[in-house]
Amino acid sequence: MSIGKLDRRAVLKLGAASALLPALSGIALAQGHSGTIRIWTFLSAEGQSPREVVLRELIEKFAAANPGVSVVVEAQPFQELETKFVAASAQNRAPDIIWMRDTFLDLVNQRGALANLDDELSADFQSNVIPDLYPVFAEKSVMDGVRTSLPLWPSPAQILFYRKDALAEIGLDAPPLTWDEFIPVAGKLTSGDRLGFGLPTNDNSVSAFINMMTGFGPDIFDAATGQFDVTGPEAVETASVVRQLVGAGALSSTLLNAMGDDIQDQFAAGRFAIVQAFAPRFAQYKSIAAAYDPNDLAVSAWPAFGDRPPAVLLGPYWTVGVSAKSENKAAATAFVEALYTPEASMQWAEVAGLVPDRRSVQSDPFFSTPEAESIAVFNALLDAPGALTFPPKLPDITKVFPIMNTALQELIGTDEDVGAILERAKATLGW
Amino acid sequence: MTTTVIETSVDSSRALHSVARKTKIVGSALVGPALILVVAINVLPAFYGFYLSLRQVFFFADEGYVGLQNYVELFRDPFAWQAVGRSLVFTFGSLAIAVPLALVSAMGIRRLGNWGSILLTVLLVPWAMSPIVVALLWKWILVPSPGGLVGAIFAAFGVPPQDLLTDPLLAMPTLILIGVWRNFAFAAIILTGGLGQIPRDLYKAAAVDGLGAWEAFRKITLPLLAPSLLIVISMLTISYFNEVQTIIGLTGGGPIRQTTTLGYLLYHTGFVELDQGRGNAIAIVMFMINMLLIALYIKILGKQPGAAA
Repeated sequence: MSIGKLDRRAVLKLGAASALLPALSGIALAQGHSGTIRIWTFLSAEGQSPREVVLRELIEKFAAANPGVSVVVEAQPFQELETKFVAASAQNRAPDIIWMRDTFLDLVNQRGALANLDDELSADFQSNVIPDLYPVFAEKSVMDGVRTSLPLWPSPAQILFYRKDALAEIGLDAPPLTWDEFIPVAGKLTSGDRLGFGLPTNDNSVSAFINMMTGFGPDIFDAATGQFDVTGPEAVETASVVRQLVGAGALSSTLLNAMGDDIQDQFAAGRFAIVQAFAPRFAQYKSIAAAYDPNDLAVSAWPAFGDRPPAVLLGPYWTVGVSAKSENKAAATAFVEALYTPEASMQWAEVAGLVPDRRSVQSDPFFSTPEAESIAVFNALLDAPGALTFPPKLPDITKVFPIMNTALQELIGTDEDVGAILERAKATLGW
Repeated sequence: MTTTVIETSVDSSRALHSVARKTKIVGSALVGPALILVVAINVLPAFYGFYLSLRQVFFFADEGYVGLQNYVELFRDPFAWQAVGRSLVFTFGSLAIAVPLALVSAMGIRRLGNWGSILLTVLLVPWAMSPIVVALLWKWILVPSPGGLVGAIFAAFGVPPQDLLTDPLLAMPTLILIGVWRNFAFAAIILTGGLGQIPRDLYKAAAVDGLGAWEAFRKITLPLLAPSLLIVISMLTISYFNEVQTIIGLTGGGPIRQTTTLGYLLYHTGFVELDQGRGNAIAIVMFMINMLLIALYIKILGKQPGAAA
């Protein structure tokens, strides 16, 4: 065959080759990933908080390694993530990746909105990375034998933040870890405009009452139903502690509408000595401290009842899933995997002060530095004997926190009988 | 001659019919798109909302037809009745302050001339603001701790910080005052326009007849302002009765449900508890109450002499 002349065989070969080319290039693109992946999270891609900075850097790194993929962050109000995701999924316009609270995982999964990650995650990730995550969180993402999500930022979740300078005023280094001792101390910490203890009482995502009740240990949750006894002796004693805190002047009726963000802002302004706070926000609390030295910020477990170990309720926390209806599951899963590399874990730790998802990176010298002191404390809390999680299927999750918050408000703001308040909460829950 | 007249009359009649038909076509063409939008955005979703109110829908899963169960449970719920009561307190409490204040402002603005217009523009700023921004603004103004503006003013007079949003007795009055602050200037604009429609001669004639200022206000201003008042009261009623964003931002329905109005209950049931069947039942009940109140206003104010104006 000479140049310029094509015989029949050559034409057929060229035809076959040209037919194969798109397929081959498709394989190549699939391995490198392509297309757009949309992420719904409460973090903004343009934000400046430590976690937002890390997320942005991880996206840039992923985009550099996968030039064919465009990652779009569509920030959503954190309390609406699960609802909007399920609604969007029903209308076939869900994002590829969703950040959600672990307490909603069962409901979201029931709606068939989440991909089975056992089918999507790479073999390397399944065999090497998952065993390196904190088992207590990683196991909670497995629903009916199927891995539906991956936990992000292992942390003691709703924990106590306190000001060392305030505690030092009364000769203490840290808050007492039993309620009997905590109540008078919290009362003494109330001074001038400052309150001893601050709790969110109107935040639909958390319940300070349940956190306090965990001082009785994991048995408060019924293994079969996931419920807790709203009018049982543990709840009554918890309610009694609330009343004693009010009586000691530690808790104030001015908290009756407080959201988590209100507590955070007012703590920064110096209104409280000890508050309930979300552990992953520790670095943020430090950065906005106005009325005290950020180095005086410290964390503590919740006090317990009797001689039980101090309580650490590991939730609600964030967990990341891939949409069952994603048309780009491979790229989406690849991005999710990129959140859990050892480098990513180090970034979350170094920039945002978070406990690394990968336990193995904790041998890094960074974790022996004073900068990582809070992470060491969080780690200790994660391993504490009083650590527990919410049941995998906490019933009436959309109602239980608001109803228990109203009960807490009634305990703080009225003199009504404790039993009557708890009975009303139970009746409203229908338990 | 007679025949010619009749023929001309028939032609005129045809011409008139033709013009009328064309006018109707043009009118329909102008109204049509708006009507289609209203049907698509308001009417159809309303029917769908009613359909959903007859079903058990939780977290976007339709669990089937339940008839009037959502309504029955709603009417049996003592908290729902409390919410109705609080909605009425909020609505009429706000109206009772906002409408007289708007009327007085409108009369003052007319007397001030151009300065009045400038003042009204400034007073309109709260109405133009997003309700959530209003809520955040007032939350910081009222916070009873260091940094709160009202607390600082009280402190300057030796008064301790007041828990205006967290005190169960003070939260609702505080919400009402914020609601008035937000809306009265808008009402004042409409009433200013209404006052401008009243002929000056009537007041001159009343003065000649020896009527005092109060009598002139009662016998001329109020009756002739009835159409504007009807618009203002109707719009404010709908606005106040359905208010939810500032309540979410300021009190979250608390403390201890003291500001849980029917609008907030709808938000909480539908968007927090995610019980969308019952949430839609509340929406339908709210719609019915809105319609009843407006029908009542039309009946009362529609009888005023100026209502036909």
